[in-house]
Amino acid sequence: MTELVQRWQALPAHLLDTPLPAIAITLLAFMLGTRMFRLLKQPSWCPPVLIASAVVALLLWGLDIEFSRYREGAAWLMLLLGPATVALGVPLFQQFHHIRALWRPVLLTLPPAAMLAAGYAAGLAWALGASREVIASLAPKSVTAPIALGIIDQTGGSASVLMGGLLATGVATTLAVSLFAPRLGIHDERVLGFVLGINGHAIGTVRAFEISPTAGAFASLGMGLTGIFTALFLPLAWHLIAGQ
Amino acid sequence: MLLLRGFLLLTGFFLLGESIAFVFDWPVSGGVVGMILMTLFLMLRGRVSEDLGMASQSLIAFLTMLIMPGVVGIYFLGEELAGQWLAIAGSLVIGTLLSVLTTLWLMARFMPRADREPTHD
Repeated sequence: MTELVQRWQALPAHLLDTPLPAIAITLLAFMLGTRMFRLLKQPSWCPPVLIASAVVALLLWGLDIEFSRYREGAAWLMLLLGPATVALGVPLFQQFHHIRALWRPVLLTLPPAAMLAAGYAAGLAWALGASREVIASLAPKSVTAPIALGIIDQTGGSASVLMGGLLATGVATTLAVSLFAPRLGIHDERVLGFVLGINGHAIGTVRAFEISPTAGAFASLGMGLTGIFTALFLPLAWHLIAGQ
Repeated sequence: MLLLRGFLLLTGFFLLGESIAFVFDWPVSGGVVGMILMTLFLMLRGRVSEDLGMASQSLIAFLTMLIMPGVVGIYFLGEELAGQWLAIAGSLVIGTLLSVLTTLWLMARFMPRADREPTHD
């Protein structure tokens, strides 16, 4: 009997040796988060990822699982982010005729928009007295996660602060677009999609696909171009401005 | 089988993108290089096969779930950020509002005149 109790007590550690509990928690939280998002009538200020990640945090706390343990397991799931980024090439191709018709505004808007997204964030953080590490973590806040993680490797930021920044930026972007666009008289879903993708990376892109496939394609384009452009200019600008 | 074949193609393009980024030492992720290669490949081929369409659609639907584990980290940030919350929140919220405004204005400004009417297609 005592042996059975001992085995029972050793069970959590045994299960946590595999990534499967972390994967199950993530799937469960995602499904719950999506369902709650629909129940709340799809609020633009609270995307499913915010609800779902809160559910994960609650489950980890309730099940007494360390976050680092969870992250190791969930890394198996995050591996799919690579092929998923490649998959964005498909809507990009399917909507290419729309994009080709607008190549000029797209190419003119992108460089200043991507530089300002990073510049505003870094400048404000600096002016408000943030440390060097925090400024480095916040500068790529509009860049899609896999690329942004590569950028902070070169500028010396923290991954947790970056991920928090990405989330807040994604939410703030969807909010700001639904707030400002009607007031500026902008209803063109290609413009809305592109702006969502440039500023709000994957979260903005998910929002754009809720508007329409065309908006989604423009968002994928905006996200991809911002990522590439920022990955090239930000480490360079960082070393020029901040030194070393 | 269709789904698997599509997934294999996506993974293949990712590996190709990752290899190019690694060999040329580009600071760009393999996924983005793969996405560009995928777009070019489809433009050459002229159509999306059923397997690829199926796999990409299902992966894109789960994109949110794939970034979620990273996002959870914000609930476990230590006290090392004490005193910087105002700077972080200000930078993120005001910075994003400003950059969205600027981008909307820039894009709307550069749009061809004939296209400035709302479209629904």
